[in-house]
Amino acid sequence: MHPLERLVNLTALMLTARRPLTFDEIRDRIEAYQQQDHASAKRMFERDKDILREVGIPVDLVPTDPWEVEKGYQIVKEVYYLPDIEFTAEEMWALFVAAHAAGTDADAEFAFRKLAAGTEEGLIETMAGRQPAPGVDVSGPHLAAVADALAGRRRVRFRYRPIQGRAGVRRVDPYALIFRRGAWYLVGLDVDRKDIRSYRLSRIRSDVDDVGEGSPPPDGFEASRYLEAGPLGDGAPLGARWARVSFSDKVAWLVVAATRGARVRRTAASGWVEIDVPTDDPEGLASWVLSFGADARALSPRALRDEVVRRLEAMAAGTVA
Amino acid sequence: MTRARGSTDAADPQTAATAAGREPTRRPRAERGPGTAATRLRRILAVVPYVIRHPGVRLRDLSALFDLHENDLAQDLNLLFLAGVPPYGPGDLIDVEIDEDGGVWIGMAEYFARPLRLTRAEAMALYLRGKALVGSTGVEESAAIGSALAKIEQELGPDTLGALAGRVAVGGTPRHEATLQVLRAAIRDQETVAVEYYAAGRDELSSREIDPEQLFTAIGNWYVVAWDHHSGEERTFRADRIRSVTGAGKRFERRGLAGAGRPLYSPTVSDVRVRLLLAPAARWVAEYYITESTRERADGRIEVLFPARDLEWVVKLVLRLGGEAEVLAPADLRERVRDAAEQTLRRYRRGPKQG
Repeated sequence: MHPLERLVNLTALMLTARRPLTFDEIRDRIEAYQQQDHASAKRMFERDKDILREVGIPVDLVPTDPWEVEKGYQIVKEVYYLPDIEFTAEEMWALFVAAHAAGTDADAEFAFRKLAAGTEEGLIETMAGRQPAPGVDVSGPHLAAVADALAGRRRVRFRYRPIQGRAGVRRVDPYALIFRRGAWYLVGLDVDRKDIRSYRLSRIRSDVDDVGEGSPPPDGFEASRYLEAGPLGDGAPLGARWARVSFSDKVAWLVVAATRGARVRRTAASGWVEIDVPTDDPEGLASWVLSFGADARALSPRALRDEVVRRLEAMAAGTVA
Repeated sequence: MTRARGSTDAADPQTAATAAGREPTRRPRAERGPGTAATRLRRILAVVPYVIRHPGVRLRDLSALFDLHENDLAQDLNLLFLAGVPPYGPGDLIDVEIDEDGGVWIGMAEYFARPLRLTRAEAMALYLRGKALVGSTGVEESAAIGSALAKIEQELGPDTLGALAGRVAVGGTPRHEATLQVLRAAIRDQETVAVEYYAAGRDELSSREIDPEQLFTAIGNWYVVAWDHHSGEERTFRADRIRSVTGAGKRFERRGLAGAGRPLYSPTVSDVRVRLLLAPAARWVAEYYITESTRERADGRIEVLFPARDLEWVVKLVLRLGGEAEVLAPADLRERVRDAAEQTLRRYRRGPKQG
């Protein structure tokens, strides 16, 4: 008998049984376990049972009588069966696209298959002739481990190399996962620094270890606040102050399109556009302003303007660069 | 936003886009060959409920929907009709039939009419991938994914997803959805489009007509692969650098451009070799751009060597890095940085009215 056949039989038997079945009862019914040697039959059954559990089938061992003399195996139907979820055909297609985006993942694939199997919709018509959108890579290193910790509210420990500075060990209580501009970030409490920080998963330089129970996020915690700050740094909260910068016609539209929260204040006759940009650290914007060269001019606050001018003077004098 | 130092910049024409996100449009097959008994059981328990609910579904269609090879699928089904609820009396064996038209029928397996619940790993994997797509600009399906994920959250809830639901966020999406829509339609209809494009490498805004063939993303940006009438060659344009795009009212024949299969930047012999010395705060440059070599010095500074087709963006990069980068070579780059700094300073020295 093929192992697959045996596994299907075992699943079908337990799924249709009205009460837990002892190994001997299972052995009576499934031919493959009816070999002479009871012990080796039991070993085969144990391996099969482990495969069932590995696949996600909830096999329990419970007493078969009130005195708990004997124990039997059962599959609780309510636990086994996926609840009915009514997806529209478009939603199913969207989930198919998600399961097949770049960076394939067997778990996501199986999740889609199970959800598809449970729908009444005729998916075949919806899918005919369509291809998933190419090339958005949604996978991330350590994503499964971090998500697992987040889901179970566990504290994690990993070695991290920040964008600036040296690598070190971090202990973090995960609060949120953020996907931004093609990369995954973890936002959480840095237990040692006692501050909420963000970590780009691709900068994690070790395994992600579970080191115990984590803490819940503070009341009113909103992951989205950490988005706008741009977790490319090390996760400053959303900027509440404003910087005003004037841009040439050549690049102003780019700034408006790429900068969340940017507001056009006015357009001068010269075509230069004054734009207000939200930030928590106006002076920190000096690099950004300088990246536009002579197409940008910092207006306020004064400290930003002075910092830009200071750097430009140093570079013009040739004392740096 | 806050452009934290070291964040993405305005001039990055040769970023180190990796192979990620540039797979060909053909879907990858998740698995090949019959696989282990566990894998096959996992497959069977997903495929059978669908067939029971959709009697007569074509093997070919099943294979596409479940992303499995027809042969593997047929082999699984052929084993299935030997199984059932033991010991077999009449009607205890699963009834499997594949008819001459390739239609699949399964009977006598009502207990398999509903699929097995998702494991936590499965639910999380699909949920996170879905969330990521919702957060990626230019994904047509993002609205439908969003509503599908909401249903998953509601139905599977904390039992399966734990504390994950509500703790996954997306964002930072640029606002060029309209551009992508026009490009997508033009690719489908094979229509030439007129674009106004900002070439960051040369710091130039220009107008041209292009024949777009493909859209893809890499490191968070969308790119369009097109035939460029202006240069008479294949070019890759970054979608967010397209200021305007309109149909030119002309049809084109696809040329089968190499497109997404090609690196975003391929060095040529005429490229200039740039050598910079980076302070630790500018370390990100070594990661972000394609470098020929990087060498860490004892004082923590990093020497990087990279080829550049145009120097204009490198000038901007050095300006941006301020004192954190030193130009080692070429010598005229140092001159150009000094000139650019001087020119920019003039913006501050003139009267405030002059912009």
